[in-house]
Amino acid sequence: MNFIDRLLETPLIALILKEINQILRNKQLMFLLLFPPTVQLLVFGFSLNPDVQYIKLGIIDYANTYESRELIAAFTENDLFQPKIYTYSQEELGQEVRTGKITAGLVIPPDFNRDLSQNKSAEIQVLIDGVDANTAGIANGYINQIVNQYSRSLNENKSSPLVQVQSVFLYNPGLLSTWFIIPGVIGLVLNLTSTLVSATTVVREKDSGTLEQLLMTPADAWEILLAKIVPLFVLLMGDVLLALSIARFMFKVPLRGNVILFFAFAGLYVLVGIGIGIMLATLARSQQQVILISFFINLPVIQLSGAIAPIESMPTFFQDLSWFNPLRHFVTITRGLLLKGVGIEVLWPNVLMLAIFAVVLLTISINRFRSQLS
Amino acid sequence: MKRIISQCIKELAQFRRDRLTLALAILLPIATLFIYGYAIRLETKDIPIVIQDFSMTPLSRSYVEQLFSTNKFAATPRIGKAEVASAIDRGIAKAAIIIPPDFDREIKNNKTSTIQVLIDGTDANNARVIQNNIKATSQAFLRSSQLQPSNNNVVTRTRLWFNPGRKESLYIVPGVFGVILWIFPSLLAAIAMVREKERGTILQVYASSLTAAELLLGKLLAYFLIGIAQAIFVIILGAILFQISLVAEPSSFIIGTLLFLTNSVMFGLMIGTRANSQNAAVQGVATAGFTTALLLSGFIYPLSNIPFPLSLISNVLPARYYIELSRDAFVRGTGWLGIWYAPIVLFLTFLFLFNVARRNLSRMQLPD
Repeated sequence: MNFIDRLLETPLIALILKEINQILRNKQLMFLLLFPPTVQLLVFGFSLNPDVQYIKLGIIDYANTYESRELIAAFTENDLFQPKIYTYSQEELGQEVRTGKITAGLVIPPDFNRDLSQNKSAEIQVLIDGVDANTAGIANGYINQIVNQYSRSLNENKSSPLVQVQSVFLYNPGLLSTWFIIPGVIGLVLNLTSTLVSATTVVREKDSGTLEQLLMTPADAWEILLAKIVPLFVLLMGDVLLALSIARFMFKVPLRGNVILFFAFAGLYVLVGIGIGIMLATLARSQQQVILISFFINLPVIQLSGAIAPIESMPTFFQDLSWFNPLRHFVTITRGLLLKGVGIEVLWPNVLMLAIFAVVLLTISINRFRSQLS
Repeated sequence: MKRIISQCIKELAQFRRDRLTLALAILLPIATLFIYGYAIRLETKDIPIVIQDFSMTPLSRSYVEQLFSTNKFAATPRIGKAEVASAIDRGIAKAAIIIPPDFDREIKNNKTSTIQVLIDGTDANNARVIQNNIKATSQAFLRSSQLQPSNNNVVTRTRLWFNPGRKESLYIVPGVFGVILWIFPSLLAAIAMVREKERGTILQVYASSLTAAELLLGKLLAYFLIGIAQAIFVIILGAILFQISLVAEPSSFIIGTLLFLTNSVMFGLMIGTRANSQNAAVQGVATAGFTTALLLSGFIYPLSNIPFPLSLISNVLPARYYIELSRDAFVRGTGWLGIWYAPIVLFLTFLFLFNVARRNLSRMQLPD
């Protein structure tokens, strides 16, 4: 009993208790910890969908025979194309593409059937709206496959192709794109929340001038700061748990790696985020400035991390630059642990980089904080 | 009218004096243009793949050559046999292609040889692209090596409209204009509105004879002018950097841009009337404005991919209509004919935002 009393009287514990009390009373902070992460995970998860599907297709079938209808069926009987209009006017089709009502057009010529029966090659016309270059390219690939397959099915002496490709999709056999997006968004959410929350709590103390009062107490500068970091760290780990549960139960993202490792590395990233946050707080004079500056930092950090769009498709310069982006490493770790189920033997370069970031950022920001105090 | 203009002049003078916001008004849009314009690319090139050729014959080597002849794939350095799976685990390679020992023999005997492909499915979209490419290459290989002449009776003539070279910047950059002109004018306006509340000067406004509508319109005019300056700057810089140019007759784009700027400023003012601190205002604009403009506007992935309840939001989102307008102006080029509805929607959303902001303000005032 005596020992516990004495422990409670040490400045560090007293300060931690004070911080916890303050945080629990601060409704805005609790809101910041719970609401934005949940909304962000849900909105990002549901709306960022790179799948090429339900491409609106306009069809002109001048041939209007059994064969041409078979070809149309080959286009439309999957989720790729969605027949939108049937018309006989090429002008109308062009107009619909121009106004964006349809994305692709298929024109089957009147002599389609005759050419086929005379064993000549029949030409069909396909036009694709190329504004969305990526979707157009993928759609084009699918169209070629569909037509090839149809063409092969017409041949009586069916000789199967000499080279067959048998592909296996590792880690994500159902090719669900949310499995890719969600681990990225977990990183994004942790990054935003940890920097903002830690920056605003530190700055508020500066804003209201209570920091000077803390300095008058017998506590050392490191104790003041540690007392701030510890409760924040615990709360942010709660956010990690929240994000992971949403990923598991809402989006059914698997967790194939080690859970403890995941929490350990997430903790490392939370430290990086707190480091950035305190750094921002030492740079800014008011809460408003903190948020504006964090906007400036978080925008490139998130965008160049591969959380939303894959790193591999960025220009080489940005790919190389992303090595100096802590979020990139955390997103790689998250995808590795959740989807691939790999462990430290694969992820160690990323973990190492994260650890370096955590140490460097925390050291610099704590030093800046202390020099601002004295 | 006079009161609106003097309010506007006061606002502009304040804006000029605040160094930080002035810097942000210029620097943030440029940074955003650079990052989004250069770094968001959806199509992957030079995908690293590992090849394990057990056949090691001229035929299998020419197959491998065919794979690399497109710019789609790049070889990863040779690794040991057992390490194929671990190369994908480590993310060094996105796919592994395993050519069986009897590849050459089977094909010469006119039998089918099966090539095994392991693909990293983490990025589902890319995985599909990889699979399609390998399949297409295998067919092209059979045709070009005269092993199995094409028996395709149906030939596709494909034309890509508007963007035949499939330049991705043509898709991304007009969208970036929409994102930038949505976030930054509204951010500045929200800060201005809330600053008045934080410093208590709003009480003087209440005490004066200025009505809520006049106050809003004065601020709107000031930030509208700043927004126009930002728009001209960002659009010209973007057009030069990414080599895009107007292809439509410009009146629809100009009118649309002006309407969109009024929307964006009014959205900021509306958030400003709701929020009680600059902190909350900036966060409101940042989270509400940014996520919606980024995710629900069709900026990155097609609008049709947004599922039902969320798609309702994207239907009333000004940024979504402006991005359509700007893509039309820079890529499609149909002008009024294709896009007549966008300016109308933008006008309606402006009226809505204005009314909400005015009601918020008059609720704070004491009734006369």
